[in-house]
Amino acid sequence: MDLITECVSSVGDQFVAQTRNGLTLGSIYAMIALGYTLVYGVLQLINFAHSEVFMVSTFAALYALGTLFGVTQPQAGLALILILLGTLVICAATSGGVAVLLERLAYRPLRRRGAPRLSYLISAIGASLFLQYLFVLMDGQHYLLFVKLPAIAGAAPRPVPEVMATQTLFTAFGSAITNKRILVVLVAIAMLFILDRFVNQTHFGRGIRAVSQDAEAAAMMGVDIDRVIVVTFLVGGVMAGAAGLLYIIVLGAPAFWFIGFIPGIKAFTAAVLGGIGNIRGAMLGGLILGLVEAYSVPCLGTQWTSVTAFIVLVVVLMFRPTGLLGERVSR
Amino acid sequence: MTEAEKRPESQDRRPRPRKKQRAWQQHRQRLRESRIAASRRAKSALGESLAPVSKRWVGFKHWYEENGKWTKPLASLLLIGFALLLPYTGDIFDVPLWVELATSGSTLARVMLFSLFALGLNVVVGFAGLLDLGYVAFWAIGAYTAGILTGAQDYAQALTSGAENPVEPEWQMWMWLLFLVALGVAVLAGIVLGSPTLRLRGDYLAIVTLGFGEIVRITANNLDSFTGGPRGIRGIPHPAIKVGGIDIEWGTLIDIKYYWLLLAFVVLWIIAINMLDKSRIGRAWVAIREDEVAAAAMGVPVLRMKLTAFVIGACTAGVGGVVYAEQITFINPPTFSLIQSILILSAVVIGGMGSIAGSLLGAALIVVLPEIFRPLEDYRFFLFGLALVVVMIFRPQGLLPSKRRQAELMSGAEVTAMEDVEPKEGTATA
Repeated sequence: MDLITECVSSVGDQFVAQTRNGLTLGSIYAMIALGYTLVYGVLQLINFAHSEVFMVSTFAALYALGTLFGVTQPQAGLALILILLGTLVICAATSGGVAVLLERLAYRPLRRRGAPRLSYLISAIGASLFLQYLFVLMDGQHYLLFVKLPAIAGAAPRPVPEVMATQTLFTAFGSAITNKRILVVLVAIAMLFILDRFVNQTHFGRGIRAVSQDAEAAAMMGVDIDRVIVVTFLVGGVMAGAAGLLYIIVLGAPAFWFIGFIPGIKAFTAAVLGGIGNIRGAMLGGLILGLVEAYSVPCLGTQWTSVTAFIVLVVVLMFRPTGLLGERVSR
Repeated sequence: MTEAEKRPESQDRRPRPRKKQRAWQQHRQRLRESRIAASRRAKSALGESLAPVSKRWVGFKHWYEENGKWTKPLASLLLIGFALLLPYTGDIFDVPLWVELATSGSTLARVMLFSLFALGLNVVVGFAGLLDLGYVAFWAIGAYTAGILTGAQDYAQALTSGAENPVEPEWQMWMWLLFLVALGVAVLAGIVLGSPTLRLRGDYLAIVTLGFGEIVRITANNLDSFTGGPRGIRGIPHPAIKVGGIDIEWGTLIDIKYYWLLLAFVVLWIIAINMLDKSRIGRAWVAIREDEVAAAAMGVPVLRMKLTAFVIGACTAGVGGVVYAEQITFINPPTFSLIQSILILSAVVIGGMGSIAGSLLGAALIVVLPEIFRPLEDYRFFLFGLALVVVMIFRPQGLLPSKRRQAELMSGAEVTAMEDVEPKEGTATA
């Protein structure tokens, strides 16, 4: 009992601070989770290589900030806004491109052959390994088909230059809210809002919804399934790209070939928590997962966050076997 | 996919003159026809030249099936004999790579270890159709059971706390019971994880099992006093048989005897799984895999059958984990990360789900391929990833698919919503 009361009081002490942490991390999870959920909606496929799409974005950010814009010290004002926007576009484009390539090279050939569903999973895992170790090899000393790979990555983590100085904007109940966290949450909300509109109100969005409800009927109604799938991967990739940049900004994470693993698993958990295939479910799941992890920190310590997250997942699935909001993409 | 098929998709939104479009389509049609004709020609040419061989092969197969009563056991005996003598074949076949692989005790033992795991996971994934991504958890549970019960954990604890002359644990005869204990512990863990979660449908089960794998690994990492934490457990004794005049000791990692020990388990498991597959339980698994609702309606106890499959998979990994711990003598949490579950799963899928021979082949491939790529050092996982994708693209049903599974694939019973909506050329846009 002592332990529990101690736990509750420690969470109470840090409630606002942990809510802040949870919301920041949760909105990043939500953005990655969307990629899983969208692809699952149209293909019923767990896109295991999605964490690598996220990983690629960190290298795109490194390239954009370090080489293209030559950032050496934190910027301010208009320069900061322009650089951030430019980096966001580059990250989103790179990740989107990688996601589309992935679909073309690793999934579409399988779709054409009517492969069993587990084959997709193995293909995804293969593609994931391929991408990870491709970035390990890109250290400027390895060759691929007699072409020297550029030195943009490597086995060791590469720090990304800090583009934005951390400033405390205001203090809420004794915990500092920094400009970075505000930025992350705002960008995440904007992207999620745009995505929601995109899926619910546009031409392509209707296609995506149609395919995820009933692919066969959608094809009969004249939906070009191949194109819908490509667009889905592209949108998921763009979200993961933006999430990668935000992850770097708020956590000061380096560009690293293995960095996608943990956020990827967490985001997948979030997608399942909210009901996989359900877009709003993924957003909700991401936020809840972020908050759960954050609240578990003062009580159990950081080493148990993942365990708590998975236990919450199991408990939720026991009572709601198709996730919090159920399966379907919003109709 | 050829260049010809790719291009128009990206362009067909743009208005294009009808004539050009038609010409383009005709061009593609011609290309496709010529390709099919060429492959047909090649096949028939090959078929003719191989006719005498293939005829005899068909005759032999017929004879083999007809006299199945004694040919099949004989064939299995021959196979087992070959497997027993495999370490010595390096002396006969003087092929460089073969010598390296077939005489390396650690590689052979690893192949057998993964064969055991693949056999177990095959029951879960291939027979019962449950996607388990946390299989490594049971391996870890088996290994840690061995580590803790042999006293190696106490020894490691004493070492770190600076006790004077801690006694390194030695192998006792009762330790052979560890296999049973680990089996029991793994069965318990399987029931604990399985009974609440097996109600979940395919992909939900996947993430829950993945979570379970991570939970076990992180728990082993965090519970310092119980599992040794990140330092792991060292000094797990090698097994030995010392009864009366018999004195067999298993040596270090490269001792070929581990291969034989594991081979014995593999043979035992193959026999058991074969019997299960042909029994009522096996038929129940097939029914569940194909259509759970229909199976339940026909009176198959779905949940219990699923749990049976899950538990059989779990105890296999538990036993394998004990041998692993005794061979390596050192275990720590990073050994049991998600990538191992994924490797075992890819062995099952590459080999062909539901096929016992396939599991063995798949396990051999996932161990041997990285070994073959070893001279390429940094490239090996890169190439391994590529190989996974390529194998799946060209043999989505696996290399040695089970006959039943293959029949399902051919008849299209396996087709799910996503696969049968192959859009025809020229469908209108979204």
